[in-house]
Amino acid sequence: VNARFVAAVSGALFAVGLALSGMTDPGKVLGFLDVAGAWDPSLAFVMGGAVGLHFLWLRFGSQPSATSSRNVDARLVGGAAIFGVGWGLSGYCPGPALTSLAFLRPEAIVFTVAMLAGILVFRLTSRPRLASESSSVEPEPAQAIDIIRTAQSD
Amino acid sequence: LLALAGLLVGYGTQLGNGCTSGHGVCGLSRLSLRSLVAVLTFMLVAAVTVFLTRHVFTGASQ
Repeated sequence: VNARFVAAVSGALFAVGLALSGMTDPGKVLGFLDVAGAWDPSLAFVMGGAVGLHFLWLRFGSQPSATSSRNVDARLVGGAAIFGVGWGLSGYCPGPALTSLAFLRPEAIVFTVAMLAGILVFRLTSRPRLASESSSVEPEPAQAIDIIRTAQSD
Repeated sequence: LLALAGLLVGYGTQLGNGCTSGHGVCGLSRLSLRSLVAVLTFMLVAAVTVFLTRHVFTGASQ
């Protein structure tokens, strides 16, 4: 099947799922995060369902892909913490924010523009990481084999 | 406030290599240790942020 077609269909499904489950409603998201108040844990089922289904797909339905790094560093934790503050302030995270653009809600538009600005600020201020110091991504098996082949032929 | 939140989310996503969908859905189901740490971090920080804005500094920000 055409990869672009699959991407378009799964993107549309993702958006419908986010909207139906309430992930595009900042009030509901904040209710999920508000453990001390009127806590609404229902969104945990959204994530649980997505994780469970994806886990089964990876396990039984797809080809093994890239191995992931197990290296936990300050960058990862710091980024996640900054993300958490923004998420807690607004109730928006990137996927639902983009989806909410379709509602033409002013808050969603302001948030998304600011989010893109944040991404841009990061891109402009951080040095591009060299392949050799990139800790988060390891070469895929196919690439690794190519590297080994190249090394052997030298 | 919404603009500040957006800036933080955009910047944090780039710095931490992922968001709720990336680390939460894709990472956790791959049993990635990095994603588990990231998810616990942003869930905790977000919950603390909501606690502060809703129960400590009430009225100041909403």
